Amino acid sequence: MNDGMLSVFQQGLSLLFSFDPDVWAIIAVSFSVSMRAMALTLVPCILMGFGLAVTRFPGRHAVISLCQTLQAIPTVVVGLITYLLLFRQGVLGDLRWLFSQNAMVMAQVMLAAPVLISLSYGAFSSGDWRAWETARTLGASRARAFLTLCHELRAPLLVAIIAAFSRIITEVGASMLVGGNIHNLTRNIPTAIALETSKGEFAQAAALGIVLLILALMINFSLSSLRTQQESLRRG
Amino acid sequence: MSLVATDIEMQFGPRRLFGIPQLILNRGERVWLQGANGAGKTTLLKILAGLQRPSGGRVHLHQDNAATNRWWRNRDPLRGRVIYLHQTPYLFNGSVEENLAYGLKHLALTVEERQSRVEQAVAMARLTPLRHQSAQVLSGGERQRLALARAWVMRPHHLLLDEPTASLDPDSIAAMAAMLDALQSQGCGLLLTSHQHTDLTLSSQQQWLLSEQRLTALPKEQRA
Repeated sequence: MNDGMLSVFQQGLSLLFSFDPDVWAIIAVSFSVSMRAMALTLVPCILMGFGLAVTRFPGRHAVISLCQTLQAIPTVVVGLITYLLLFRQGVLGDLRWLFSQNAMVMAQVMLAAPVLISLSYGAFSSGDWRAWETARTLGASRARAFLTLCHELRAPLLVAIIAAFSRIITEVGASMLVGGNIHNLTRNIPTAIALETSKGEFAQAAALGIVLLILALMINFSLSSLRTQQESLRRG
Repeated sequence: MSLVATDIEMQFGPRRLFGIPQLILNRGERVWLQGANGAGKTTLLKILAGLQRPSGGRVHLHQDNAATNRWWRNRDPLRGRVIYLHQTPYLFNGSVEENLAYGLKHLALTVEERQSRVEQAVAMARLTPLRHQSAQVLSGGERQRLALARAWVMRPHHLLLDEPTASLDPDSIAAMAAMLDALQSQGCGLLLTSHQHTDLTLSSQQQWLLSEQRLTALPKEQRA
């Protein structure tokens, strides 16, 4: 790492730890939007993943393939679809959500949903079905048996949640298109990094990049701790 | 209260596994179900426990006293009353004691009663020194005993056991036999599958054979 780069990261760290209001406002927007999107998708998508794993209906394979394909849809395409839905002449134009956090939440819901559905479907369909049968035969209601199954499959389900969250917290295309990158309103970490870099203001971009790096480290650390814990339980 | 299955039929695509006009398992009765691999024993047990839907027919609990028959009030009358035990039991993540207490949460019991049932079950399954250990570290025999004890604490009306003694040592078989005897004496109806004649099948009042898509009760002279 040369001196220039080092100095940029030092400035970034100092902005971060001096609690620069601009930097922290951007971080707050990012987390607020992504957490709301996760809160909206989490339960319905995990239930859909479960439903796809346990039910058989015509077109089931098509739905699964569609969800799996949509996991890789470019974020900018989702942004474009959301834009077309929300712009004044769009189907949802009356909501007047374009260039607001609600529009960003909507786009992120569309990005997170296929990831959550596909990965939770994978978790349920490859999970041990005896857990469900044992819970049911021991008197659990369907709802309680479902919660038991989720608890037993918490590691793969957590991977699904983290994958979905990682996808939306780092996406730039959809947020830029439907949020508009408005200061203190819709400017989130990825759009701010893109803007500051294009302006040559690397310090703020570095500060926000550090936040994403710390987040990635924390996620990986908690996942590996969970895996170690489960491994040690199995080995006694 | 008897477990009654009427006109049950199981079909996988074009393949008909079995068709049984009527099956009655009385409380306090022990039945040994035999049949070749693939005859449908496990599927039959799961249907009787309400875990699998048959292609046709129905399974219900028939009460002797019609005045107290309120099964229609309950959408799921078999749940917790007819318990199925897998050939390789599934143990939940958690301690031995947590596994034992799992089903008790669904019964209207006092804390003292729950605790007392867990204490008895732990002792009966010879798992007292392991009660706070993770259930995942138990040996095959211990897992099987824990699974049976977990069913035992529920005081089920009927217990359906799928190959409960497969690959168990004589000590574990003896412990399981003692638990099943206790259950039977409390009025629990037992239906178990086994390829071998063991301590568990010894005192069966009936032997059924599932073969060629039919279930037949073996006459005394043909019994093992």
